[in-house]
Amino acid sequence: MNYLIIDKEEWDRFLGKLLSSYTVFASVSDEFGQDYELIKPEDISRITYNKPKPATPLKSFFLPVKENVTSGIISEKPRLIIGTPNCDIQGLKLLDEIYLDKDFLDILYKRHRDNTVLISSDCFGVGEHCHCLSYNIMPYSTENADLAIISMSGKIVLRILSTKGENFVKEIPVSDSPENDKLLSSIEKEHLLTETSLKAANKGLPDSAATGKLVRGAGEEVWKKHSARCVSCGACTTICPTCTCFLLIDKPGFEKVKQMDACQYPGFERTAGGEDGLFELPVRFRNRYMCKYAWKSAKFRSTACTGCGRCIEACLGKINKNEIFMELAKS
Amino acid sequence: MTNEKNIYKPLKSKLIEVIDESSLIKTFVLIPEEEFAFKTGQFIELSVDGIGEAPFTPSSSPQVTDRLEVTVMKTGYVTEYMHNLKPGAYMGIRGPYGRGYPVESFFGKEVLILGGGCGLAPIRSLLYALEHVRDKLEKVILCYGSKTPADCIYKPLFNRLNSIEKFEAYRTVDRADGEWDGAVGVATKLLDKIKVDIKNSVAVVCGPPIMMKFGTLRILEMGYKDEQIYLSMEKNMSCGLGKCGHCMMGEFFVCKDGPVFTYNELKNTPDIWK
Repeated sequence: MNYLIIDKEEWDRFLGKLLSSYTVFASVSDEFGQDYELIKPEDISRITYNKPKPATPLKSFFLPVKENVTSGIISEKPRLIIGTPNCDIQGLKLLDEIYLDKDFLDILYKRHRDNTVLISSDCFGVGEHCHCLSYNIMPYSTENADLAIISMSGKIVLRILSTKGENFVKEIPVSDSPENDKLLSSIEKEHLLTETSLKAANKGLPDSAATGKLVRGAGEEVWKKHSARCVSCGACTTICPTCTCFLLIDKPGFEKVKQMDACQYPGFERTAGGEDGLFELPVRFRNRYMCKYAWKSAKFRSTACTGCGRCIEACLGKINKNEIFMELAKS
Repeated sequence: MTNEKNIYKPLKSKLIEVIDESSLIKTFVLIPEEEFAFKTGQFIELSVDGIGEAPFTPSSSPQVTDRLEVTVMKTGYVTEYMHNLKPGAYMGIRGPYGRGYPVESFFGKEVLILGGGCGLAPIRSLLYALEHVRDKLEKVILCYGSKTPADCIYKPLFNRLNSIEKFEAYRTVDRADGEWDGAVGVATKLLDKIKVDIKNSVAVVCGPPIMMKFGTLRILEMGYKDEQIYLSMEKNMSCGLGKCGHCMMGEFFVCKDGPVFTYNELKNTPDIWK
């Protein structure tokens, strides 16, 4: 794997210059938490590296909450996204399968993708509810992003993951130092430490294949019990990096606006004739679990749950899917 | 937008005629601005400008590509607007979408069609397609039920079908009125009197969910195998592209994997009749 290593100061100067030709979004931490921000020159020093995970899932950059899909215009200015954890990078694979499907290519999605240079961030340490490794997703990217970034000992390490990434780094001044090998081995140690912490934090959590079997086998009473605290707010689907259901809204001139939707909202499946397979809350609640762990995994190559844990954090009813799976695994 | 095809953009189509089929059902005759070909059983998204769109299976012949007929029951918000449209208006069409009836696999066989209510709309398109290839079919039997005689659409169709060699058509109503002298009872009752070589036959079921359920159960009882039964499923197909998630039924997107399925494909999927 190819690496590029430069001084952190040099990287910051490079980013400063880049702001005139790119729209740059990066993960930034403050007293309210960690999330993507539009980067201005004064924000460069605030960019957070190596830390899971921005509150907003990556999908928001490619599937806006609301977008005119018949006459929408995408800025010609290229976009750089820095600091995406690998859970979201893996989640993007499912979005690509759905929206870049050769039968029905979504040209707006494709333009958002083509227009973006994606720099993933290695996770050193474990965020609350992080459980990527339980679903065979590593806490660092080796593919599907353009570059992966690590900040360490005053240096920036960029792992090159795509041709687009390779072209991007051609403009960056390279520093060659005998310390580089030591740096790379320190990164490997951090990876191992993070993996060990993830394993310890999620001991006993069934993997995705086992989860699929558990949800398929769970009876009505399981969904009745756990949905009792669900208020159908849709926070879990909104925050999920792989939930992409939407509604098409008609506007005059035969225009269509695509708006994010959620199977957890009452009426999601209702037809004009009144049939509604998801009318009852426990059935609606179960639908999300079946979709994530049974149906999507049968239909697509990519995973529909990346173990980011955001749905647990966002739930108003404090429903913890991992606790449900642990309980199902025990019973 | 550039020249790349935009999957969300409808094809403008001029409404040239509106045919009253029953008090709640009208057929819209449309001339699309471009040639529009579909396979029987596939569906389209039909839109009223600025109001909304809904999925329908065309009721016209798939052999005709310069005009399209869509039969619509007034059921909700969008269809109410459709029913108020007058000839000269423009509607939007997206599609055709999904998997239609595998007509070629019916060759050499008898085709039993069980329909109810507005389900006759897609069936009429299938009948046109079957009529076109009738030399290659053994027999086509239509058993159709409507709530009342007045609710039966395409009334002249039945006499015409009965005059076509190899075709038989039967009708029943749930509730008769004074002038009705035909069969009374649900559509499945008609299956009792037909003669069909089940081993060399396929069955097609299309209608409201309740009829689909009991119709399929009755056809299974007659001895048809799961893979001989074709169901045209109705869900809230919104995008038609296998993306928006509204029509997901177990592992299937009804819009892309269906709407025509064999019962064999669906029998292990929960809640298919809802």
